[in-house]
Amino acid sequence: MSELSITELSNDLRNAIAKLETSGNLDEVGVVLRVGDGVAWVRGLRNAGYNEVLQIETDEGVVEAFALNLMEDEIGAVLLGEDSKVKAGQTVRLKGSVLSVPIGPELLGRVVDPLGRAIDGGPAIKTKQQGLVEREAIGVMGRKSVHEPLMTGISAIDVMFPIGRGQRELIIGDRQTGKTALAIDTMINQGKQKTGVINVYVAIGQKRSKIARLVERLKQEGVMDQTIIVATSPADPASLLYLAPYAATAMGEYFRDNSQHALMIYDDLTKHAVAYRQMSLLLRRPPGREAYPGDVFYLHSRLLERSAKLSDDLGAGSLTALPIIETQAGDISAYIPTNVISITDGQIFLETDLFYQGIRPAISAGLSVSRVGGAAQSGAIKSVSGGLKLGLSQFRELASFAQFGSDLDEATKSQIERGQRLTELLKQHQYNPMSVWQQVASILSVTKGYFDHVPAAKIKAAQAAMLTRLWADHKKDMTELDKGGKPTEEILKSIEVTALATAKGFEG
Amino acid sequence: MAKLSRRAIAIYIAEQLTGKADSQKVILQLAAYLVDTRRTKELSLIIRDIQFYLSEAGAVSGVITTANALTAETKKAIEKYIKEQTGAKTVALDSLIDPSVIGGVKVSIPGRELDATVSRSLTVLKTRYKKA
Repeated sequence: MSELSITELSNDLRNAIAKLETSGNLDEVGVVLRVGDGVAWVRGLRNAGYNEVLQIETDEGVVEAFALNLMEDEIGAVLLGEDSKVKAGQTVRLKGSVLSVPIGPELLGRVVDPLGRAIDGGPAIKTKQQGLVEREAIGVMGRKSVHEPLMTGISAIDVMFPIGRGQRELIIGDRQTGKTALAIDTMINQGKQKTGVINVYVAIGQKRSKIARLVERLKQEGVMDQTIIVATSPADPASLLYLAPYAATAMGEYFRDNSQHALMIYDDLTKHAVAYRQMSLLLRRPPGREAYPGDVFYLHSRLLERSAKLSDDLGAGSLTALPIIETQAGDISAYIPTNVISITDGQIFLETDLFYQGIRPAISAGLSVSRVGGAAQSGAIKSVSGGLKLGLSQFRELASFAQFGSDLDEATKSQIERGQRLTELLKQHQYNPMSVWQQVASILSVTKGYFDHVPAAKIKAAQAAMLTRLWADHKKDMTELDKGGKPTEEILKSIEVTALATAKGFEG
Repeated sequence: MAKLSRRAIAIYIAEQLTGKADSQKVILQLAAYLVDTRRTKELSLIIRDIQFYLSEAGAVSGVITTANALTAETKKAIEKYIKEQTGAKTVALDSLIDPSVIGGVKVSIPGRELDATVSRSLTVLKTRYKKA
């Protein structure tokens, strides 16, 4: 077929379609039957699809809702605005699209609500593109195994539970154990180490004061320019809390699909599940375990499945997810924690006991795991990480035994002492992420025994002194080490010499 | 007995009314069913559903709402337009004068609506300004 005939065919088809289309004059309409608790029941609109946006015409303008329950006689729709404006008898129209949000680089540095509207007092956001809130996750062939590290700057994580770009690593623990702090440090590290990773922080039902503090801190650290914050407060309707992670993921996917790397932080999915439970119960869906609906697993699995490392053909971008789950009294076998543990590629478990012992970050070496991150660990970190996790777990077991008796053999004593030093060393202040060379030098100084004569109480001071000295005396070597390659003999020697020299000043 | 959906009832009644059945008898049957199943409260919804299925069968009935009375010519033109748009055999439109629409015309037929009133344009405008 010639080129000309294809053009003619195309034109004929367009004309035929134009004639057949009713040009939207006769809209399909429904009527609000009843409304309450953020849910409107609508009759009519037989062509409405799942998740399709409905527009309810109220006296004060159009209120949007999205269809979640499609039943034979009526539709259950969750309102995206105040339900006090919606009354029975009002006309409902189909918008003709599923929910979408603005996406693109214009969102960087901004705080938005789940519908992409600015809530930071800045100008309205105008993006060139819109992204679907609900989108199918990328298929098998579009993916590549996780192989690049996503440095958190927290040595306990980077060394023992490394996270790769495209991985989903759960942060789980009781309230006030430092879950959000870990996530924020990871965001700050992306700015400090200039990794170019875009941060997308989703606050689900978080206090507005907390979000304001976070924004301030990120601005102070100079990371806000590469961060998007999607915020919902406890005062927002459950529908917005439910939408927040999906909308934020759509924003993150823009960077993933454009060969960039993005980090999603969902803070937290427990509140997300609670918001979904509220909506489901109001929509009269049958309750299951802990009154959650039957599809609560799918709620989180379809969200986290969108985090991926893309294949080279698709631009090799990545979307890494750090979902946060809050447990009650350390119970990781509750419904939502077990669900999310099984979905993610590992978890970092934070223990209340460790937190109050002053071991911060309070990471449990025994219960934490990273299933795919090992492949993504850089050569430098890998060279010092061997056996560290096992050693630390054994130390904590031994330490609890050692409380009952004083007669310990030399081997056990030295294991406990080294464990104590390592525990001290892995303590890290908030907002103080460490670079690769700092982590490598610090770990080596303890595991190689350079700090064996330094008392545990002085370890942090010795570490700081050693790092300052290393940077002053071997800046070139440390810059080389920071690139992530396996340390050369020369670099290892300079660390040894500096560590031993520093240790002398802290002995006794 | 399982509760029949409004949709199933409406489809049955619309089929009976467009068929050769005695309409009075069908109405009595429906009334008896609603009283028996204590669903008389749903009557207005069922009537709307019957209207919808009757319109799908080619008998469209609806309402034209305007701020001022329409001329017979304009009403005829609207009926012709609805006939073309829906492919209905018969179109019966009642007129309603409602000053709150300010101007323009609104044609409501079962399940569909053409709203070209000034009041709707104002509502849309109000929402757009609120968003911006």
